[in-house]
Amino acid sequence: MIFVPGRRRARSVEGSGQALIGPDEWRRTKVKWGFGGAQALLLVGLIIVGLGPLLWLAKSAITPTNDTITFPMALFPHGAAWSNLHRAWFDVRVGRYFWNTVELAIGSWLTQVFVATTAGFALSVLRPKYAKVITALLLTTLFVPAVVLLVPLYVEIVHPPLIHHSFIDSYWAVWLPAGASAFNVVLVSRFFDNLPREIFEAARIDGAGPFRLFFSVVLPMSKPILGVVSVFAVLASWKDFLWPLLVLTNPDQQPLSVRLPQIQSQTELGVFLAALFIASLVPIIGFLIFQRSFLRGTGLGGAIKG
Amino acid sequence: MAAIEFHDVSKVFPDGTRAVDSLDLQIKDDEFMVFVGPSGCGKTTALRMVAGLEEISGGTITIGDRVVNEVQSKDRDVAMVFQNYALYPHMTVAQNLAFGLKLRKVDKAEVRRRVQVAAETLGLEDYLQRKPSALSGGQRQRVAMGRAIVREPHAYLMDEPLSNLDAQLRVQMRAEIQKLQRTLGVTTIYVTHDQTEAMTMGDRIAVMRGGTLQQVDAPEQVYRRPVNRFVAGFIGSPAMNMIEARLVRADDELTVRFGEHILAIGDDVLAARPGLRSHEGGEVVLGIRPEDLEDAAFGAAAPGRTLTTACTLRESLGSEVLVHFTVDDGGSTFIGRVDPLTSAREGESLQLLVDTARLHFFEQASGLAIY
Repeated sequence: MIFVPGRRRARSVEGSGQALIGPDEWRRTKVKWGFGGAQALLLVGLIIVGLGPLLWLAKSAITPTNDTITFPMALFPHGAAWSNLHRAWFDVRVGRYFWNTVELAIGSWLTQVFVATTAGFALSVLRPKYAKVITALLLTTLFVPAVVLLVPLYVEIVHPPLIHHSFIDSYWAVWLPAGASAFNVVLVSRFFDNLPREIFEAARIDGAGPFRLFFSVVLPMSKPILGVVSVFAVLASWKDFLWPLLVLTNPDQQPLSVRLPQIQSQTELGVFLAALFIASLVPIIGFLIFQRSFLRGTGLGGAIKG
Repeated sequence: MAAIEFHDVSKVFPDGTRAVDSLDLQIKDDEFMVFVGPSGCGKTTALRMVAGLEEISGGTITIGDRVVNEVQSKDRDVAMVFQNYALYPHMTVAQNLAFGLKLRKVDKAEVRRRVQVAAETLGLEDYLQRKPSALSGGQRQRVAMGRAIVREPHAYLMDEPLSNLDAQLRVQMRAEIQKLQRTLGVTTIYVTHDQTEAMTMGDRIAVMRGGTLQQVDAPEQVYRRPVNRFVAGFIGSPAMNMIEARLVRADDELTVRFGEHILAIGDDVLAARPGLRSHEGGEVVLGIRPEDLEDAAFGAAAPGRTLTTACTLRESLGSEVLVHFTVDDGGSTFIGRVDPLTSAREGESLQLLVDTARLHFFEQASGLAIY
C-alpha cells in the first residue's frame, strides 16, 4: 500500500503513517507520472502473469482444435466452438469425473474438519495430562515425507486393522487417510490456544459440558480457522493425483486429476482443453468465495477486554 | 444463597508454587466478602477454587452444606464475573444472558422473563440484540454482571470485575454492584487489589499475602486495628508511615523516639494497648497514618505531639495536600495528609501535629501489631 495513488493512498498514509511518498510529493508531476506509470506497468504485468494462463485456457477451451493448432495466438479466427464444453462434459465424461472429484473433496473436507476440530479441541481446550505428549508426536509426523508413508498406508487400506475388509475402490480409501492430517490438527489447536480461556471457563460455570462447549462456544468462535482448513482440504483433495490413482482402480470412480492425463491421448485437443478448463473452475470459484476467510479477523470482537 | 467455607484449603501448582496455604475462612450467607491483596497473594486462586476452575490440593470447600471439592463447576451453582468480561462474542446480549439458563433447561418463558428483569436492572434493554463487539466497556461489564444475575445462583464470584473500566465508570459500577448485592442478597466473593473497592464494598475484607490469610474483619476494623505491618501498610492510601523507634519512659511518661523526634504516649493509648508495657525500653516499629498528621497551623500544638522537620515535596490534590518529609538521618520519608490551605513549601521547615491517640505499634521481629 505504499505507492497507491489517489484516495486510497491518503488513507494508507493516515493508517500506517510511514508511506514512502507523502501527499505533497504525489502532487509533483514527475513523481505522479513516474510512479503512476510504474504502478500501471506492474499491475498489467501481474495480470498477464497471474491471470493470463487462465484466460488463455478459457479462450482455448472454446476454440476449434484446428484454430488452436494453426493459429495458436489468434483470437477466434473462425468463431468460437462452444460445443467443446458440451463434448468434454458428456462425451469424454468429464461431468462424471467432475462429480467424483466433488464427492471426494466433500468427504475429505468433512473428515479433515471433523478430525482437526475435535482433536484440536481435545488437545487445546480439554487439555488432558498427556496432551503435550500427543502434540509432540503429532508434530514429529510432520517431519515424515508423505512419499515414505505411501506403501504402509496402502497396506493399511488393503488390510485395515479390525475391519478386515479392503477399502480399495471405495471412497473411504481417500476420505479416511485425508482426515489423518497432523498439520490441520496443529493448525486448529494453535488457533484454539489463542482463544481466551476465560470464555471457556465462563461457559463451564454457566453449565456447559465438553460437548456443549465444543458446539455452542468453540466452533462458532472458530469460523476463520474452519475457513482456512476447508480451503486447504478442498484444494488438496482437488489436486491430489497419486493417492486416488493408487486406491481407485475403477475409471468410473476416479477424479479429474487421475482421469485427465489418461484421456489426453484419445481426446481431441479443443475438447481436452475444455475439460482442463472445467477442472480448474472449481478451485478458482472456491478461492473467490473463501478468500474472505483468509482475510477476516479472528471474530472475537468484544469477547474480552483487549 | 449459601454460606461458603474454606477449611484448611491449600493449592499447590505442579511447579511447586504454593498459591494458597491452609486457608480457613467462613463466609456467611448473604455476606459480601472482599479478598484483597497484592498480585500473586492467592486471592484469585482461592476464588477459582470455589468456582471449580482450580483443583483443590488440600482441605475442603463447602458451599451451603455441600463439600464441593469433587463437584464440577457447572454443578456448583455459582456465577462468576471475569476481569475481562469473557462474553460469548458470537451471541447477542440476550443470548449471552440466556445461555446459562438454556443449559439448565429453564422454561423458555421464564428465561425471557429473567433476561428482561436483568436487562432492566442493568439498563441493557436497548442493547439486547447487539453483539458484545458493539458495546462499550461499561456495557460489556453490565452484560457480564447480567449473566451472573439471571442465573439466581447460590453465590457470585467476582474476579476484579472493575479493573478494566476507567476511573469514573469504576466508581459508578462500584456503587451499582453494592446496591445489586444488597438488593439480591446473594453471598458474594469479590476479588480485588484495589483497596478503595475493598474498603467501600465489603461487609468484611480478607487481606491475603503470599497465599496466607492475614486478617479478616470489617473494613473499618482492618483499617483501625491491623494485625500486622503488612496489613497496616497495605490498607490505607497513602500507605502508613513506618519507622523503627524506641519506647522510652521519661518523667514518668512513656514516649516513643525516632531520629530526633519524641512523641508522648498517653495513658489512653496505653490503656488501649497494654502490650506496649512489655516493650518498654525496647525497639518497636512505629506507624503513623498520613491522615493522622496535620499542619501545626491548623491545630493546638502540645508538647510531645509535634514533629518539626522540612518539607521535601508538596503534592496538592485540591481537597488536601500531601507533604513529604524526612524524619531521620537514614532518609526515611513520611507523608502527611494536611489541610489544603497549608502554607508548607518544598525546602522550608514544617511543623506537624500528630494524633498520638492513633499511633500504631508493631513488634520489630515478627511485625505483629502490639495491642
